[in-house]
Amino acid sequence: MTGRRSPRWSQWVIGAYLLLFFAYLFGPLLIMAVTAFNSSSFPRVSPWECLTFEWFVRLVEDQRLMQGLRNSLIIAFGVVVLSVAIGLAGALFLTQIAARSRAGTYTVFISPILMPGVVLGIATVLFWDRVAGSIGMAYGGLFYDGIFLTVLGQSCFIASYCLLVFLARLQRFDSQLIDAALDLGATNTQAFRRILLPFLKPAIGGAAVIAFLASFENYNTTVFTISFYNTFTVEVAQKVRLGIDPTISALAVIVIAISLVAALANEAGQSHQQRRLEGHGRGFVAFFTRNPAAVLAALAVGVIVVVLAFAVQHDPAACKARALEQRLERQQQYQPATPAPAAPTQSAPAAPGARDLNPGQGSFGDVFRGGLAPGSTPTPEPTPAPTPDTRSLNPGQGMFGDVFGGGLAPGTTPAPESHEGDSEE
Amino acid sequence: MAKRSWLGGFLDRNGQALGLYILLAVSFWLLFLIILPQLAMIDFSLRHDLPAAQQGGPQDVWTFENYRHFIFGLPGNPDGWNRLDVGVFGRTIVAAAFVTILNLVICYPVAYYLAQVARGRQARVMAVALVVPYWVNEILRAFAFRIIFGATGVINSTLLTLGIIDLPIDFIRADIALYAGLGYAYVLLMVFPLYNAIESLDRNQIEAARDLGAPWWRIHTRIVLPFAKPGITSGCTMVFMLAAGALAAPQILGGPSNLWFTQLIYGQFFESVNWPRGAAYAIILLVACTLLVLLVMRLFKVRLGEIGK
Amino acid sequence: MAGGVSVELDRLLVQFDEFVAVRDANVRIEPGEFFSFLGPSGCGKTTILRTISGFLEPTSGAVRIDGKDMAFIGPNKRPTALIFQNLALFPLMTVWENIAFALEMKGVGAADRRKHADELLALIALDGQGDKYVHELSGGQKQRVAIARALCAEPSVLLLDEPLSALDLKLRQHMRTELRTIQRRVGLTFIYITHDQGEALTMSDHVAVMREGVIEQIGDGRTIYDDPATAFVASFVGENNALPGRVAEIRDGVALVDTSVGRLRARIATAARDRLRTDAEAIVFIRPEALDLDIAGASAETTIQATVIGEEFEGPNMHLQLRHDGGAELRVSLVNKGRTGTAGIGSSLAAAFDPMKAVALPSGALSAEE
Repeated sequence: MTGRRSPRWSQWVIGAYLLLFFAYLFGPLLIMAVTAFNSSSFPRVSPWECLTFEWFVRLVEDQRLMQGLRNSLIIAFGVVVLSVAIGLAGALFLTQIAARSRAGTYTVFISPILMPGVVLGIATVLFWDRVAGSIGMAYGGLFYDGIFLTVLGQSCFIASYCLLVFLARLQRFDSQLIDAALDLGATNTQAFRRILLPFLKPAIGGAAVIAFLASFENYNTTVFTISFYNTFTVEVAQKVRLGIDPTISALAVIVIAISLVAALANEAGQSHQQRRLEGHGRGFVAFFTRNPAAVLAALAVGVIVVVLAFAVQHDPAACKARALEQRLERQQQYQPATPAPAAPTQSAPAAPGARDLNPGQGSFGDVFRGGLAPGSTPTPEPTPAPTPDTRSLNPGQGMFGDVFGGGLAPGTTPAPESHEGDSEE
Repeated sequence: MAKRSWLGGFLDRNGQALGLYILLAVSFWLLFLIILPQLAMIDFSLRHDLPAAQQGGPQDVWTFENYRHFIFGLPGNPDGWNRLDVGVFGRTIVAAAFVTILNLVICYPVAYYLAQVARGRQARVMAVALVVPYWVNEILRAFAFRIIFGATGVINSTLLTLGIIDLPIDFIRADIALYAGLGYAYVLLMVFPLYNAIESLDRNQIEAARDLGAPWWRIHTRIVLPFAKPGITSGCTMVFMLAAGALAAPQILGGPSNLWFTQLIYGQFFESVNWPRGAAYAIILLVACTLLVLLVMRLFKVRLGEIGK
Repeated sequence: MAGGVSVELDRLLVQFDEFVAVRDANVRIEPGEFFSFLGPSGCGKTTILRTISGFLEPTSGAVRIDGKDMAFIGPNKRPTALIFQNLALFPLMTVWENIAFALEMKGVGAADRRKHADELLALIALDGQGDKYVHELSGGQKQRVAIARALCAEPSVLLLDEPLSALDLKLRQHMRTELRTIQRRVGLTFIYITHDQGEALTMSDHVAVMREGVIEQIGDGRTIYDDPATAFVASFVGENNALPGRVAEIRDGVALVDTSVGRLRARIATAARDRLRTDAEAIVFIRPEALDLDIAGASAETTIQATVIGEEFEGPNMHLQLRHDGGAELRVSLVNKGRTGTAGIGSSLAAAFDPMKAVALPSGALSAEE
């Protein structure tokens, strides 16, 4: 297990383990991505029905999701600015205080990372509620505003991430450079701007990226602070809990594609930088020679373009009609024998007969079973649409049913028209 | 070296503008984002749940009612204690600990390989491969597991096709999907602290131990593991705290009868609309997790300052 | 370029909490002088340098540059420029940007800066290398860039904090000459910090030897070497044989000291004339090169009988390790005049010295390196 001298079998074991591990990491994402192209309205790989791109179209047409995306970007921008500024200040502060108080201060500064996100979200909402109350701010004022609260709640712990990035960079800073600049006549501000800031520039970029990603994908804190707005992630979570349909897979495909290209581009840029320092050539061609990451990145972009071009003129209608026929045939075969192999074993709210006729609908019931606490009545069930396709066209109304269902504690009275339902409108 | 106030010295060293920026940003963070919100939450948790009109009125007095409710439940509860909430709490802590240990076991070989065996491009590709899945949204990752473990998901349909089972296995109800999803969610947070710790171990120590005839498992138990202790503690602390405080994964992957404690808190806020009790439950979660982590650290003799490197 | 100015330390005391880093330092450095502070690490020499450059404020006493008190004047306002031990060149700037940094801070335009930097590059024989980055230069080139960068600030006093310590031996010796040349050419006051006595003695007009925050002696190189003021200076600067004992008699600036190798005759160091008394504890210092195997007219008080316990042949010199019956060990350096040699290890011989080249000093702490 430790290098060249290990016997061959142990290398096999380790190799197999790593393979398994990365299969665990990438397998779910891959499967999810594939389901985005299957016309089956329940995200699945098999049985494969038809190649389709309709889920992507659905995704882009989803107004709430797009509104959430806008809010997410606004929030992420605020969080990036605030967290990077705070994290930088915290790191500079830590490097200047006496060694004996440094460990304690450091612990306080990183404690938000360890706090459960829900705690941070709750604390933020309650605190600003108190502040607003004590200064007599009317409901609807800034301190009740979901975007304001979310920026603050997220920045609380994202600033700690930024702090860690800056500290790591500052550890490699030679503080004598500042002394040298001062000695050569620079003022403190000049020394900071001309020496320390350029040194920290990569860290500022890194911290900003981390802050953006952390803000964009945050759910635990945001779900408490966001009030009647929604963010992309909160919206996606609600969709997922409402019912799994392949538009979410389509979304995942986009995210994965962006991540992959970004990762490859980043890797390519770094290795190019490396080789430029070693004195290799500059320019377009040099960027790709002996730089597999760059080639792969270019390839990935190429594949995306080709797929897009193909998608525009691809029409799965004929195939879908055939698939529907086959499905009906299959169901007629099965119906007399067993109550559908795919049927959940536990009691589901949806009637079994209806489920058998339409697998998409059946999976829908399955979702509810997972999310709902036993004993609570699934009252606000979304209007059972005749086909799953129309259901996802208008997710705004039906969504809340499951949101509440999933959160219900057994024994707590399910308020059929709880106030969040109203505020969500 | 003449006597000057600390503040004066600080402003001198950084210049007025930069010094003020540092002090203001840090105090804003500490006061308005960390300390005061926590205090407000404690204050809330010690209040009765009153309609807005009565807040600040004669009935608005401090009380331990919310904490009492967590332990004993509603007045007249025949059990004598709040079987439901305490049960959910206990199960959450145990499950989070289980996920943490599972994660440690899964990630240790990978971290070790990355730190001591992999070299050059292979190591870099591995590191990137570890990070990229985490650019994908937490919700989407949970969703992927939902697809895989669903009744008609990949695993069930594969097993059905192969004829290994006759009826789909309910992975969701058995919480298998939840554990797999939570473990998945925090792989990165476990691998990197472990990697950092193991990476600084001098390879020669391993070589020396091997020369002295130590079998591979003894090299790990006697040399690598003790050396990586700060990293292990750091990784486990983060994974445990985040798993115990997870909300999205339990909401999406959790079984219908097994609630996560954060879901109770969520319920207090959004269904019962009882903010004081929700605040009290949040504090119970925070304090219990912190105490548990501190206890484990004391047992393994690791200091808090070593976390988060 | 501005000429050098004087630097004065007036009863300077620098204290960190309880620890006194520099105690009662009184130094006057003349304009245009090459002045070194010499001492082992931790003796306070770097603290003095940082106090002169303005990074530290004295606890009491004063630093005066060109007669002006520098209290609470920051490093960026003083007419000094410091060359750091690790050089502290800015890694993210090109060579010429490094050199012209001081001008940039004054708001000089880019074209003028570039012109000035090119002039300085010519001065340090690095013409045409201005667009390189610092990491592309060799150790000696970096050294010269650091000097040029400091000179560009047009200081009156250049402070150098062991700038040669990172270089290899050969380059170090070359840079010694070069530094001295540059100093003569620009005519600035150079204040140099080092623990290397060879550097201090070869380059400096005057040297201050420090120990534990206290300046033990100030003088030119010859005085420091031949006429040390304290036992520490005698043992720290150059090699020396130290023979402790008690003063038996003092006459005409010469002392007779009873040591473990017998009664020895030695000149009393100039600085110790008033302090050394009969019956006081004293140390006789005899340099290895002051000992010889035959000196005409040597008496018992200038001769030491000993056994050879080691020999090193070095080419120009021959080093002998001797041991007296009483246990004291001596080192003797003989110039190779073609007939050096002893009867070999284990043989006994007599080593003699000129009493005017031996120095008697009051007992005191010796250098730990000895």
